[in-house]
Amino acid sequence: MARNKFDVDESLESPFDAGHLKRTLHYIGRHKWKMLLALLLSACASIAGLFSPKITEHVLNVIVPNKAADQLIPMALAYLGIISISIVFTVIRSRMMAKVSQDIIYDIRKDLFAHLQRLPFSYYDSRPAGKILVRVINYVNSVSDILSNGIINAILEIINVLFIVVFMYATEPTLATVVVAGLPVFVAFIMFIKPRQRKAWQNQSNKNSNYNAYLAESIDGVRVSQLFARQEVNISIMQKLAIACRKAWMRAIYISNSVWVTSQGITQLVYTLLYIAGVYWLGGGIIAFGTILAMGQYLNRFWQPITNLANIYNSFVNNMAYLERIFETMDEPVVVDDKPGATTLPEITGEVAFEHINFGYEEGQTVLEDMNLHVKAGESIALVGPTGAGKSTIVNLLCRFYNLRGGRILLTDESGVKHDITDVTIHSLRTQLGIMLQDSFIFTGTLMDNIRYGRLNATDEEVRQAAAVVRADDFIQEMPEKYATSVNERGSSLSQGQRQLIAFARTLLSDPRILILDEATSSIDTKTEKLLQDGIQALLKGRTSFIIAHRLSTIKNCDRILYIGNKGIMEAGSHDELMAKKGAYYELYTAQAREQGVNI
Amino acid sequence: MENIKWLWSIMDKKYRKWHILALCISAVSSLMLLINPTLQKRLVDEVIVAQNPEPLLGILFTMLAVKFFHEGIRYFMVITLEKSSQNVIYNLRVRLFTRLQNQDTRFFDRNRTGDVMTRMSADTDWCRHFLSYIDYAAIDSVVMFLSTSIYLFWINWKLALALVCVTPMLMLITKVYSKGVRKLFMAMRERQSEMNAAAQENIAANRVIKAFAREEHEKEAFDKRSSAFREAHLNINKRWLTFFPFIEILANAMTLITVFFGGFLMIQGEMTAGDLTVFTSLSWALSVPMRQLGNLLNDWQRFITCSNKVMELEVAKPDIVDAPDAVDHERIKGEIEFRNVSFSHDKAPVLKDVSFKVAPGKTLAIMGPTGSGKTTIIQLLARCYEVKEGEILVDGCPIKRWKLNQLRDGIGTATQDVFLFSDTVEGNIAFGDQELAEEQVQDFARRAAAGDFIEELSDGYDTIVGERGVGLSGGQKQRIALARALAVQPGILIMDDTTSAVDMETEQYIQQQLRELPYDCTKIIIAQRISSVKEADEILILQDGAIAERGTHEELLKNRGYYYETFCLQNGIDIDDAKEAN
Repeated sequence: MARNKFDVDESLESPFDAGHLKRTLHYIGRHKWKMLLALLLSACASIAGLFSPKITEHVLNVIVPNKAADQLIPMALAYLGIISISIVFTVIRSRMMAKVSQDIIYDIRKDLFAHLQRLPFSYYDSRPAGKILVRVINYVNSVSDILSNGIINAILEIINVLFIVVFMYATEPTLATVVVAGLPVFVAFIMFIKPRQRKAWQNQSNKNSNYNAYLAESIDGVRVSQLFARQEVNISIMQKLAIACRKAWMRAIYISNSVWVTSQGITQLVYTLLYIAGVYWLGGGIIAFGTILAMGQYLNRFWQPITNLANIYNSFVNNMAYLERIFETMDEPVVVDDKPGATTLPEITGEVAFEHINFGYEEGQTVLEDMNLHVKAGESIALVGPTGAGKSTIVNLLCRFYNLRGGRILLTDESGVKHDITDVTIHSLRTQLGIMLQDSFIFTGTLMDNIRYGRLNATDEEVRQAAAVVRADDFIQEMPEKYATSVNERGSSLSQGQRQLIAFARTLLSDPRILILDEATSSIDTKTEKLLQDGIQALLKGRTSFIIAHRLSTIKNCDRILYIGNKGIMEAGSHDELMAKKGAYYELYTAQAREQGVNI
Repeated sequence: MENIKWLWSIMDKKYRKWHILALCISAVSSLMLLINPTLQKRLVDEVIVAQNPEPLLGILFTMLAVKFFHEGIRYFMVITLEKSSQNVIYNLRVRLFTRLQNQDTRFFDRNRTGDVMTRMSADTDWCRHFLSYIDYAAIDSVVMFLSTSIYLFWINWKLALALVCVTPMLMLITKVYSKGVRKLFMAMRERQSEMNAAAQENIAANRVIKAFAREEHEKEAFDKRSSAFREAHLNINKRWLTFFPFIEILANAMTLITVFFGGFLMIQGEMTAGDLTVFTSLSWALSVPMRQLGNLLNDWQRFITCSNKVMELEVAKPDIVDAPDAVDHERIKGEIEFRNVSFSHDKAPVLKDVSFKVAPGKTLAIMGPTGSGKTTIIQLLARCYEVKEGEILVDGCPIKRWKLNQLRDGIGTATQDVFLFSDTVEGNIAFGDQELAEEQVQDFARRAAAGDFIEELSDGYDTIVGERGVGLSGGQKQRIALARALAVQPGILIMDDTTSAVDMETEQYIQQQLRELPYDCTKIIIAQRISSVKEADEILILQDGAIAERGTHEELLKNRGYYYETFCLQNGIDIDDAKEAN
């Protein structure tokens, strides 16, 4: 598995192309009517704005020379009226567009998050969490404005430019050509700089992502760092990453800022040419006063929108680097997914059949080879064997966390029909299985919420019962706020064993037909474990269970013990049978007993 | 202002003068904007109206030169400001990171990763934005407004006064606006942090979520955060739009007053047409800064909100630091003593009057029910929390008088909650000692019974393990964590439930290796399995934070207490039978 770490840039596999554009339009398209309206409002506001110079012109050219002081007040009121209309339009547009831009962020974020929920373990396993986080939070925030206001402004500016060009040509075609002649130069410059600019911003987003990834990991792993007094080393790594960020940023800034400098320079050059042409070139004499003045004004009104467009384009290019990353994540293949037409798995009995299972996590690696296993409903199965032999793999496959390389797994429903787990929806499969993972994750929230995660509609009483069964109730009652005690992800208010008990209660509460315990009690003391086992005995009745454990006392009473090794099941049978067999299990058991200082 | 002072103090001295120079350039270049319009007026008067091409080229090239010079220094200014703001953000990042690296365990108990991340990324970015944009944009506006006002006063004080009269109203509006909007910015900042934390936790919990098929629930929960964030944004926008019309009307009032009041003055004969033209052609130089003010106000509020958050993080000093009278120590010899140590977590008592002593090179084992305080003992030893009652001594010296780094350097811990970094296996094992030679890494891996499976990984020791060691089984992670602890060659080796997910045979191998370590060390073993603890020189049984039993394996078996019960349970011996047999 190609894994990414914090100081490795992620190569971008899909550069921005027509497909990306189409998807961008998809997000914008939902708001097309609002945006069209906003465009209209802006246009109206601009047109209303055009009248105000007319009024001032009238005042200065007619009223003042005539000394008609009494006409000033009505004119001022008319002026105010026009301004007010323009303001009202602007306010409405701004309000609408704020909503649109926030809706676009929300939509993109929603889709991105939803897709992340479907991605397999391997996606999360192969890159630092910080890099995923940056995409969901920072990148999405960055792109909103350019996708909403950016587009409207760009359209407005383009209309502006077109109008001015028409006006200019109507006034004096030759001079108009001089003004417009600067444009190809500018466009050529933009074309030249674009690939460099894009690369620079991509590089910047990479470095930023690296920095964030390291940051997130350092915060999560800070306890380990402190215990190993590693602060100095960590700081120097962080410095390297921050320097890379700074360098990438400065490079992008050098390039991006050259755009407005160039556009301003070209504007002034064109201005100079315009006057020279106007004075020397056209017909030998000096051109009419009015014409050249008007052309000078048009020139500014032509180049201002061009500069604005360049700026919009500029931020568009910056943000493309982010958008590309977002789409790339959305395109990440969902390896384990519902088949088209997957049905809901009816209530199962707990009977499981593994048929000719072949599996490996990576290409060329085989963990299980032609493994077969039939488990009756209600049977309790223990999986033992050396670490890394594939015990967890077997239960992971049952939950369909990974796809099989070969073979199939069948579950029997209440009416006796066997279902291949790949034919049913993942949701209906996993809700009937209760798996307790090795890493008992605690969510930020109250203890009550944490246990209730197993069955969201469970009553407080049911939560308490589940906790009582696994002996978690005892210590929860001693906590300052009992079930309402707040805990967090890595908080140390709970010991590892207590976390396992909470996770255990959570799993039990989900009331699964098949219960899977993967090292569920490794950090729990033996006495509590015994009480817990007594407690769950009743609950286990009628449920199929898979138990992975190293403490043999935990598994001795299971109906069947499987010794996993050599890419499959090496031995199977009850404790007594396997002991009589004097094979691998016997070895394991006697070694353990010897270690414990017991004579058998 | 306090926030600016604070930012300023973070900038390196050599960048400060450049930053000031750049801000001066901003002022000068704003003034320069008045030059070309003046030249343009001359161009019209002297060339076009006078029909005289002679001064044309001179004026044109002067204008060109002014423009080029202006753009040149503006570019220089922007780059300089970017550089100095990058210097600040770099320094800030290092400071914050250093602070975090040395922050107390208690701090991390209370603050979620997502929130700290927001402070370190989005919030610090606003500090950068202040230095690279808000400050010069404000100067631009102020200089433009002031210089134009002064110029206009010089031409006609009555009209200029009428224009400047608008300013107090503007100030009033901004004051009212700022007051209310601060809260909204803070709310938005909180919503962002909450959303960040929710996403971060979701990513960390991806396995549990899949196991319970809770994707829909997670999506709903995240959507709530995400739309709360959206609402917070829209609230600010709403508030802004109630004030925007006033600012916009005031900005337009500049033109209104110029034209109408100016026109009135002209009618009264108090002003010439030429003077009025100057006013009309410069009214933009008053209205543009006013409009700009609105945007800057929002940026400023946001900067204040974000920089406060960053400052909070920066000033949150850890309680556990080197004492002023801390003594320099050589390598830890390994003598540990707890003297009547009691400890509480948020008023909930965890340890009660715990005393024990371990001689160098000996092994202490701690056993006890879940939540009895075993891990707390080792956290106190490494000074992750401060002991208030009682005393802990290492090599006869109270740990409060040890230098923190020397103390922790001398303790190698294989933690219960295994955290591996997204680095190569080798990098993870050599985590505590970067200089470790490759053979040594492999040697310690073998001692931790990790050598075999590491060699079978796709790239051996160069395989990158995911964050938290995903992709490895629980037992494999534990063994890498053990190798990591062994590799620092500590004077005190702590194994907190290190072999719980390791099979018996492997554990036996590891114990054999521990007896033959190439260096001397005291060992503390926390475990639930009898086999893990039985060879210890002393075994403590911790119950409800107090030592309930102590002694060697044999002594504790005879004691017929908790240890004996556990022993029987683990070996399938019925206690009642055993009691009868005895």
